[in-house]
Amino acid sequence: MPQHQYRAFKNTFGEFGGRYVAEVLRPPLDELEAAFIAAMNDPQYRAEFDSICTEYIGRPTPLLHARNTSREIGGAQLYIKLEGLANTGAHKINNAVGQALLAKRMGKTRIIAETGAGQHGVATAAICAKLGLECCIYMGEVDIARQKPNVFCMELYGAEVRPVSGGSRTLKDAVNEALRDWASSFANTHYLIGSALGPSPFPDMVREFQSVVGQETKAQLKAAGATPDALVACVGGGSNSIGFFSPYLESETPRLIGVEAGGRGMNTGEHAARMNGLGKTGIVQGYKSLFLLDDDGQVQATHSVSAGLDYPGIGPQLAHLGSIGRIEFTRATDTEALDALKLFARNEGVIFALESAHGGAAALKLAAELPPSATVVVNMSGRGDKDIFITAREIAPESWKRFLEQEVQTL
Amino acid sequence: MSTTAIMAHMIPYFPDRELSYAAAHGLIDSKVDYLEVQFPFSDPSADGPTIEDACGRALASGFSTARGFEFVHTLVDRGAPPVFIMTYAGIAYASGVKEFCDLAKQSGAAGLIVPDLPYDYDEGLYEAGIAQGLAVVPVVAPSTTPERLAEVLRGRPEYVYAALRVGITGAATELGQDNLEFLDRVGASGAKVLAGFGIRSRDQVRMLSEHVHAVVVGSAFVKAISAAAEAAGPDEPAAAAEAVYSAVETLVSALRPD
Repeated sequence: MPQHQYRAFKNTFGEFGGRYVAEVLRPPLDELEAAFIAAMNDPQYRAEFDSICTEYIGRPTPLLHARNTSREIGGAQLYIKLEGLANTGAHKINNAVGQALLAKRMGKTRIIAETGAGQHGVATAAICAKLGLECCIYMGEVDIARQKPNVFCMELYGAEVRPVSGGSRTLKDAVNEALRDWASSFANTHYLIGSALGPSPFPDMVREFQSVVGQETKAQLKAAGATPDALVACVGGGSNSIGFFSPYLESETPRLIGVEAGGRGMNTGEHAARMNGLGKTGIVQGYKSLFLLDDDGQVQATHSVSAGLDYPGIGPQLAHLGSIGRIEFTRATDTEALDALKLFARNEGVIFALESAHGGAAALKLAAELPPSATVVVNMSGRGDKDIFITAREIAPESWKRFLEQEVQTL
Repeated sequence: MSTTAIMAHMIPYFPDRELSYAAAHGLIDSKVDYLEVQFPFSDPSADGPTIEDACGRALASGFSTARGFEFVHTLVDRGAPPVFIMTYAGIAYASGVKEFCDLAKQSGAAGLIVPDLPYDYDEGLYEAGIAQGLAVVPVVAPSTTPERLAEVLRGRPEYVYAALRVGITGAATELGQDNLEFLDRVGASGAKVLAGFGIRSRDQVRMLSEHVHAVVVGSAFVKAISAAAEAAGPDEPAAAAEAVYSAVETLVSALRPD
């Protein structure tokens, strides 16, 4: 964790961000902001965070020079930050550890969290098990159905997984349900948000705890003698991208590229892309940002093959950095993500999470356009183990079906 | 004549357009003192399951912001008591907060309640509302700190909505010394206190009567409307409208202290 004196942050990023919550939620947010700033300036807290990073998360995670792929495409040198090798399988654990330690400092005994793909839920449940905190995870029924392995793991860690049946039964509805819980439970409960969104101070907090990914990558590139021309990361709410990009937000280089879920293609309307004019400025779930909304401000349905990218809003700092042109945004479709996933598995022996494979797909395209002297780095924010029920069905449907039938027989 | 006013909460287009008009007529005819008309939002994160479900059904039945204002207009023309439009920041912001205030005024509404546009993140709501002569009603909770409560009251609002407990709408509320002292603190400013969250019985209304200007009853009406509509079934719309109309009348008289 960076050792500079942590300053009080602004609660807004350009026109975005803010703390648009009913008075009932003001005390816990104000309390959280004060506790966060105090913790960031406390060497003991930082030392504890760093120690868990090393001995539990397995930091630093490797930076892989994807030599086979770079050679095959004949373009830029492609590097992959293997963040998915972090314990529990994704970058989500960094923020979960930071906030769980903070919650303990604040004397909270219970943690609630929302989860979409389930990676944040798994990370939260794991660190709660380790720190002895009660844990309750809200998860949409649709996501529970498509991410069963993660539900199993959360329960194994001792967390309660509460199905959310309201609305679209996905991530945004899990956030609503967690906010409802927190409105009456904040005296002993911390709401551990997993994405770089929500009312302030959450976007600042999540970025700081995820900045470890970007700091490490910067040092690893330096050690490898490489200067990055572009960094690429997938963007749902935006926790992995803002952390990965964080060391470069104030400079003009390298190019920073966020990849949204293009779903079944933009002409189908079934996607989760909010940038490049597709989203509207709105206020949802306590913050102002770009969302997929209708003319009345009602939140619209989204689609992505990956449960972690189908949230209808984007973190406020990313919306701001997009609007001023510091971060470029592009999209990858479901199919492009699956193709990238297959390619990296065969070429590099690495299986991306479906979310991260969107970043992988865009990085491949970009690398092909650049000369071999250029360097492109993609963050594999998660590994693909959790997706086997989706990827196997898409890639090898017949043999997967036979296997499942056989499993059912033996049960 | 009771001393405590009743503010009845309802949702246009829940369970559908016709039945929501029937419910509104029932409330007007049974002489409730105020109407709180909630413009549904897809993500009502401060509401409990009863109102959340009702908002989802209202949207599925064709609610739009324009139809919401038309609904209010129709009720005002029919002699409704003062109507307060309650909604979420996202809905007011989508129209433009100033435009939303203008439309509210044109519809004949008396005021606005937007809990997630607090005074320090209000997007100009208070200024635009007051310029239009609308009462902009801040919402406070027992967890609100004395400092923030003082800030809320500094704007000298005519009405303040006081949530009787922390949490979301619809769950049961135990009324005790703590809630009543909180209401008295809010009322000491001279603002008319509208108290709600978990009010469903005459005993509660009676207990609050000396501490508030009006009690707000929300989820209880939503449940009564829903139950009446369901019992009547979808095949006899006229009978369903009749059933909804009498269900709200019955609930109003059950709430009124003798």
